[in-house]
Amino acid sequence: MPPRLQLLSRASAAVTTHSHQTLAPFLYPCLQQHRNASILSELSDNKGAYNKRIRVGRGPSSGYGKTSGRGHKGQKQHGKVPAGFNGGQTPDWIVNGVRGEKQHFTTEMSPINLNKIQYWINAGRLDPTQPITLKELASSRCIHGVARDGVKLLSRGSEELTTPINIIVSRASASAIAAVEKAGGTVTTRYYTDFAVKKIRAGQMDPIHSLQSRIIMAEDSVEGAEIAADALVEERKRFRFRLPDPTSRKDLEYYRDEGHRGYLSHLVREGHGPSLFFRTPGTGSRSGKKGASRGGAKKGGAAESNRLW
Amino acid sequence: MAAKRLKTSADGLLTASRYTLPTRQCFSRYLTTETTSPTTTIAQAYADAQLASSSTTPILHDRPNIQPPPPRVATPKPTRPTTFTPQSNPFAKTATLTSHAFPSMEPLTHATYPGTHLLCPMRKDILHRAVIYEGDMTRQGTASTKYRSEVHGSNRKIRPQKGTGSARLGDKKSPMLKGGGVAFGPKPRDFSTKLPRKIYDLAWRTALSYRYKQGELICVEDMIELEGVHEHSAPRYLLDMLRHNNMGHANGRTLFITLEERPALFEALEAERMGREAKALEVVDVDVKDLLELGRVVVEREALEWMFVEHEDDLGPKDKLVSWERNQEALLK
Repeated sequence: MPPRLQLLSRASAAVTTHSHQTLAPFLYPCLQQHRNASILSELSDNKGAYNKRIRVGRGPSSGYGKTSGRGHKGQKQHGKVPAGFNGGQTPDWIVNGVRGEKQHFTTEMSPINLNKIQYWINAGRLDPTQPITLKELASSRCIHGVARDGVKLLSRGSEELTTPINIIVSRASASAIAAVEKAGGTVTTRYYTDFAVKKIRAGQMDPIHSLQSRIIMAEDSVEGAEIAADALVEERKRFRFRLPDPTSRKDLEYYRDEGHRGYLSHLVREGHGPSLFFRTPGTGSRSGKKGASRGGAKKGGAAESNRLW
Repeated sequence: MAAKRLKTSADGLLTASRYTLPTRQCFSRYLTTETTSPTTTIAQAYADAQLASSSTTPILHDRPNIQPPPPRVATPKPTRPTTFTPQSNPFAKTATLTSHAFPSMEPLTHATYPGTHLLCPMRKDILHRAVIYEGDMTRQGTASTKYRSEVHGSNRKIRPQKGTGSARLGDKKSPMLKGGGVAFGPKPRDFSTKLPRKIYDLAWRTALSYRYKQGELICVEDMIELEGVHEHSAPRYLLDMLRHNNMGHANGRTLFITLEERPALFEALEAERMGREAKALEVVDVDVKDLLELGRVVVEREALEWMFVEHEDDLGPKDKLVSWERNQEALLK
């Protein structure tokens, strides 16, 4: 190389030229192309908010071309026909009748399973130290609203229930009762009307005690009666409305049943069934007395139960 | 379908039904007659007959397959939990927002606001609904066309119905013809839609929360106003201030939200090419779209609190800003 060029090459060698330029991290934003895009370009409603736009009569590929979903010829293509019309002949729904009718007396209850109650207790949303009524279940959002006739306790996930709870509901299934009592808790079923459900949720009615449920222990004397009456008056002051008791036979028999853990089962005599009409066999006046008195006068030494009449 | 029926075994049909009545031994009599000689009397035969039956059992259950629930058994109860600590509300958080001086942007103090106002979870669908609602409401809706009845012209039939060899035509205003009316064209109308106030308020606070979480919500303690700056130099002053603080066009632009009109600031931003750097709005003129549009939002503290109070209709009385602040003061005491 000629000397001048050598000098130049040495001068250029002094300037370090790296193939890869290292850059301090705080300068990285300068390298990247930064575009300021707002979130406005990403906004969209949920999928269910959008519906397929159907424009009929716009070609075969749309699926609604040519006849535009009306079929071929006839009154329906050119105009309209009333629904259920049979051309003037008696319509089918008059000839055969419409199926069923609206049942006004069905009981509508909000179901609640044991696994959800345990989950709520674990999360600290239900207090197991206090009685759990429909008010607590609704306010903790264990059930969303309460149906007309209250809450029914069911036993899905019953093996998960480990906390003893004191629960008061409208109805409870046999397996739910067994599971709660196995865990050391108690189930009580009591009667609620739709008016009662509303007032209980508003805090204007006692959720547990009604006239027939409350047992006021007092002496069988004038003073005792006065004490009981005073206690009742005090109770009346607490809430604006009084929790009703059932009046229909069906409801009364349900809540008198010990098997249902009904709150009126204490009114049923020992050994008797809950029915208001049918007497429990073996508890009537005839079964005991007459057999005993005529035991000796039988012929052939036959047993009492051998009698035809 | 018939083949499927054939495959099912006929066992169920051939064997006796599963539901069997209990053998009722009560009231049944087996009259067993011994072989007696014909000479014995009927009475004697009757007397000798063995009337055998078992003791009666009361019919308590006529459906033996249904098991009644087990009676209450006195089992030793496990101890109930005696204490209960209700779950603390996981949504009861507080957001801390630093407030700065203007125009130095020096941090002065910080303010706390409830999580319901500045820590709302992201809801893009609600933001979308609010932005579309505002857009619909903003539409002018003045597009207009003339129908065939409105086009200027006579109603005379152009050519005879038959005989010309061409298509039949009525007046010359038909949409088929050039110069005719529009068949189904636009007419001036109101495009506004409705959105429940509570959803709109939630969208407002969701937008503010989004900006806060992104670090794009900047609070200024006092007024956002250019003081002590001559009106001729105000635009350049503001431009320099924005560039210095990385708030200008190169950084996505800034929206200034003020409680009232700030003459100097607004005038400075009306200057040439200042619109591409920043925008200023009074708080009453702000929309959800404005909150989301630009790179950041610089808001006066009073304006921010005005926005909170104006848009908290979806919250209960206990959760509103004023009640929350009172609660906080009570807790501190």
